Amino acid sequence: MRQDDLYISRIDWITILIYSILVIIGWFNIYAAVYDEQAAKSIFDFSINSGKQLVWIGTAILLITVIMVADYRLFDNLSLILYGFFLLILLLTPFIGKEINGQRAWFEIGAFRLQPAEFAKFATALALAKFMEAPTFDLSKGKYQLRALAIIGLPIALIMLQPDTGTAMVYSAFGIMLFREGMPQRYYVFAIGFVAISLLSLGIENNLYLAAAVMALMVLLILAGKKTWQRIVTFAVMGLVIIAYSYSLDYVVSKLPDHQQNRIMVLFNPDLDPLGVGWNVTQSKIAIGSGGFMGKGYLEGTQTKFDFVPEQHTDFIFCTLGEEFGWIGSLIVIILFGALLVRLIYLSERQKTRFSRIYGYCVVSILLFHFTINIAMTIGLFPVVGIPLPFFSYGGSSLWSFTILLFIFIKLDSHRIQLLGRNG
Amino acid sequence: MNIKKSILLRVRFAFLLVAIFAGVIFYRITHIQFVDGEKWRQKSDEVNLQYRKVNATRGNIYSMDGSLLATSLPFYRVVLDPSIAKDEVFRAGIDSLSFLLSKQFNDKSKDYYKRLISDARHTNKKYLILNRKQIGYQEKQEMMKWPIFRQGRMSGGVIFEKVEKRFYPFKALAGRTVGFLNEDNYGAGIEFSFNEYLGGENGEALFQKIAGGTWKPVHDANDIKPEDGFDIITTLDVNLQDVAESALLRQLLNKDAEFGSVIVMEVATGHIKAIANLQKNKNGYGYGEYYNYAIGGQGLTEPGSTFKLLSMMALLEEGKISLNDMIDTGNGTYKFYDRTMRDAKQGGYGKITIREAFEKSSNVGISKLVNEHFGVSPSKFLAYIEKAGIDKPIDFQIQGEGIPYFKTPGTKHWYGTTLPWMSIGYELKVTPLHTLMLYNAIANDGRMVKPMIVNSISRANKVTQEFKTEVLRKKIASDKTIKEIQSLLEGVVEHGTAKNIHNSDYKIAGKTGTAQKLINGRYTQKYYASFAGYFPADKPKYSAIIVIDSPKGFNAYGGDVSAPVFKEIADKIYAQDLKLNNVQNPRARREQFKDNDQLPFVQAGMAEELQMICNQFGISNHYKGAERWVKSSANNKSIDWKANKVDEPVVPDVTGMTLRDALYVLENKGLRVDYAGKGRVRSQSMTAGMNIPKDGIIKLTLG
Repeated sequence: MRQDDLYISRIDWITILIYSILVIIGWFNIYAAVYDEQAAKSIFDFSINSGKQLVWIGTAILLITVIMVADYRLFDNLSLILYGFFLLILLLTPFIGKEINGQRAWFEIGAFRLQPAEFAKFATALALAKFMEAPTFDLSKGKYQLRALAIIGLPIALIMLQPDTGTAMVYSAFGIMLFREGMPQRYYVFAIGFVAISLLSLGIENNLYLAAAVMALMVLLILAGKKTWQRIVTFAVMGLVIIAYSYSLDYVVSKLPDHQQNRIMVLFNPDLDPLGVGWNVTQSKIAIGSGGFMGKGYLEGTQTKFDFVPEQHTDFIFCTLGEEFGWIGSLIVIILFGALLVRLIYLSERQKTRFSRIYGYCVVSILLFHFTINIAMTIGLFPVVGIPLPFFSYGGSSLWSFTILLFIFIKLDSHRIQLLGRNG
Repeated sequence: MNIKKSILLRVRFAFLLVAIFAGVIFYRITHIQFVDGEKWRQKSDEVNLQYRKVNATRGNIYSMDGSLLATSLPFYRVVLDPSIAKDEVFRAGIDSLSFLLSKQFNDKSKDYYKRLISDARHTNKKYLILNRKQIGYQEKQEMMKWPIFRQGRMSGGVIFEKVEKRFYPFKALAGRTVGFLNEDNYGAGIEFSFNEYLGGENGEALFQKIAGGTWKPVHDANDIKPEDGFDIITTLDVNLQDVAESALLRQLLNKDAEFGSVIVMEVATGHIKAIANLQKNKNGYGYGEYYNYAIGGQGLTEPGSTFKLLSMMALLEEGKISLNDMIDTGNGTYKFYDRTMRDAKQGGYGKITIREAFEKSSNVGISKLVNEHFGVSPSKFLAYIEKAGIDKPIDFQIQGEGIPYFKTPGTKHWYGTTLPWMSIGYELKVTPLHTLMLYNAIANDGRMVKPMIVNSISRANKVTQEFKTEVLRKKIASDKTIKEIQSLLEGVVEHGTAKNIHNSDYKIAGKTGTAQKLINGRYTQKYYASFAGYFPADKPKYSAIIVIDSPKGFNAYGGDVSAPVFKEIADKIYAQDLKLNNVQNPRARREQFKDNDQLPFVQAGMAEELQMICNQFGISNHYKGAERWVKSSANNKSIDWKANKVDEPVVPDVTGMTLRDALYVLENKGLRVDYAGKGRVRSQSMTAGMNIPKDGIIKLTLG
């Protein structure tokens, strides 16, 4: 009895509270997105998405109960089996999945559709934690770096077969966890530099300006330090490589299929094609922009109905919030997400084992990536990629997978003292 | 130490990352909502203002006697701009208005409406849907007298938004012919074929999108006024239609057939007075209108013996035979190459006159004659078909007319056996409409008129376009031939295959047809029974064709299946149509009570109760069935109880029942009952066997 009381009190209720608030706000938003005054149906009506989402929420609570009741050692022990299982499922998906919008990313079981790539996230996180928990695992060594990258790379490769670029991109978020665990900084500097140069070379019409700027920078760098031949040559070569890269990138992009090209170009100039590729983003911005400070009020939104903002109950759900609850509503939700992430980092740091800390950071990485990219996409900061807003977007696969992901960590966290004992 | 520092740095970096991302997003949203806010709000208004279609009122479809077959009824949605009424008007009227609204819609309390309207007025709302329920025109007129509402749109703020609904007063009557049109402009029948006229010109008005996916009109009037549709006046006669449809239905139920069609046409004008197509419901119970087999492509079929009329016409026109010539039909079989022609009668008819060969519908007789006279030059036979005008579609007023199919001599489909089989109505395809057109021409003394169903188009009671009867062929054969054919058709009813419908009151002329159905390239034991003809034969007024597909039971011949339907229709029309028989005909009443006179007063009810009563009174009665409900039928001096299948999900037959029983049976089917008179049910307004209409009211006449 006493032990039970202790267990309950060790659960991190703050995280659960934030999770609950987000799920409930999300549910109300889904109703707003499909609300039609002409044929008003109750929020509980199972024929509309809000009713269905309620079923997903109900089953998610069931999943939570199972996770919280299960033995905490289970996740450690099962991690590799789960990882292998999901790799197998992902391997099969392109062959037996149901084709929707040119992708074979979904399993259809009766009336239900599940997206294996969503669930593979937590399995990959568990596998990473399992591999990296060994005391000998050292990310400063190339051998271990390769191993970690292989664990992440396998599901990415399999998901690209479906092909589902958006979901595959999510796996790159594990880079944040790897950074915390000691992956050398130079990779990140290189990666960020690479992205920055890519963006610049795509964003700047005339590559000559970029070339001139790079040259100027290199000259400055050379002038700033010791003028040894070695340094001069290094910077000169670097400059030339960058310029060559930016020119070749433009060439590669021009060879991409039109729709991918457009998605990239619209990011830099949304007015390029306001009714075509930019349509989603423009409509989404109209919705958020017309919300103003206080928003138009619940169910009073005019933009956020199917006819204006497409895929709005799934990937574009944030703009319903922006329109109906305005700046205040958006602020509250951003604060909630921020608070959740900060809390999770804090919880990860207080873990006594590498396994649960690494897993915690995986959760943080994935949630941060989804949260940032999804909202950035609805406000035109990022190209449109189809990834859901955690706990908010309509859909069983996404709600279930995020719930499992989060609650395994809450479970591990609640047993952090026992885990200490075991690992010594 | 260094590692610890590095880790701390990295953890801080993670926090920083969250903060940066959240911050960037937050900055961007603030920018969109405040700095660019005006721009986006303006865009929002732009996309929320739209010119939208204002539907024109669709025209009506009438029968020739002026009954409405299809009409559009206006319904209204009650909307209020609560900010418009002046304070004193609002204060004085809000209580009684709320009370009236609560009473009208009967779903929310008076206080609810009062709060709803007051709150909306307080927040300066411009558009408030008071209730989503739509109201009718009468209710709207009544509402316009209510407080606040009576100030009108400009000072009271009330808006009645019109929505139209298509309404068919006679429900399924001639359903497939009146037709339908769905939102994708797909449809059938007159609604579809004359949509151009019925639809009118849609108008346009400026609308603003408001919350909840509703469009609110910006101005009071439409910017482009819609032009209402034209009315269509058909040639149909509702009474004849009803007679035809119920006669057909009764026989379909009786024979458990797949489908059947009836067309009744006025001989002189080609006006279609009635057209019914009934097909077995998917669930196997009862019949409904699903396809226009009388006219459409799926109605194309091998007609069988009704086509022998054309063969006779060709033979007579050649002038080489006389009706009294003898023809040897032998033992009822005759071999053309490898195929054997058979007569319906086992053992054959032997040596008979050509007249008899036609009246008895001898396949051997007719085919031998045709083969003998046209075998060397079959194209001459086809020339007669062309002359008769049934080889091509006639551009009927309803779209989707079936295209007649005939083989051409010399092509690969033409075999040595084609001509003899063609002469008895096989190896060719026509619709019932085409066959009727031919019989109608005979009735009309050789003048072939084009069948028509739309008589005129009008707007506001003014006829804008009238369709005249079109003559397709002035003379399809010589007068002599026509006269002879007419006498042959009368002979069929007098002493031929349809003598069962012969009667002394007036003369019917016509021809039976029983075609074996070709399914997957093989002739089966399923039949297509038909009867085409006209009446009164002395002075033809109406022609009609009845086709019944796949009747079940022993008697599947046209004479047994379709001819009785023809007679029933003809009898009723004859009894009703004063022009046909100037003297009031006592036959009509006699017909109705003929059976009843012989029956005991107990006619229909619960088997158990009726048996008990009869046993008490010592009346001999027999019942073999298991059904709970029965009808009586006399058998010498005793009563046979026959099962009355009221349990099937179609309108039951309650005639002969007491009112108590009838109410029990009908109300269990979800029908509302309206009755007049005293005694047992003499007639019911809905024909037994038809689908039960939703919210239907059935009228019973007692007596």
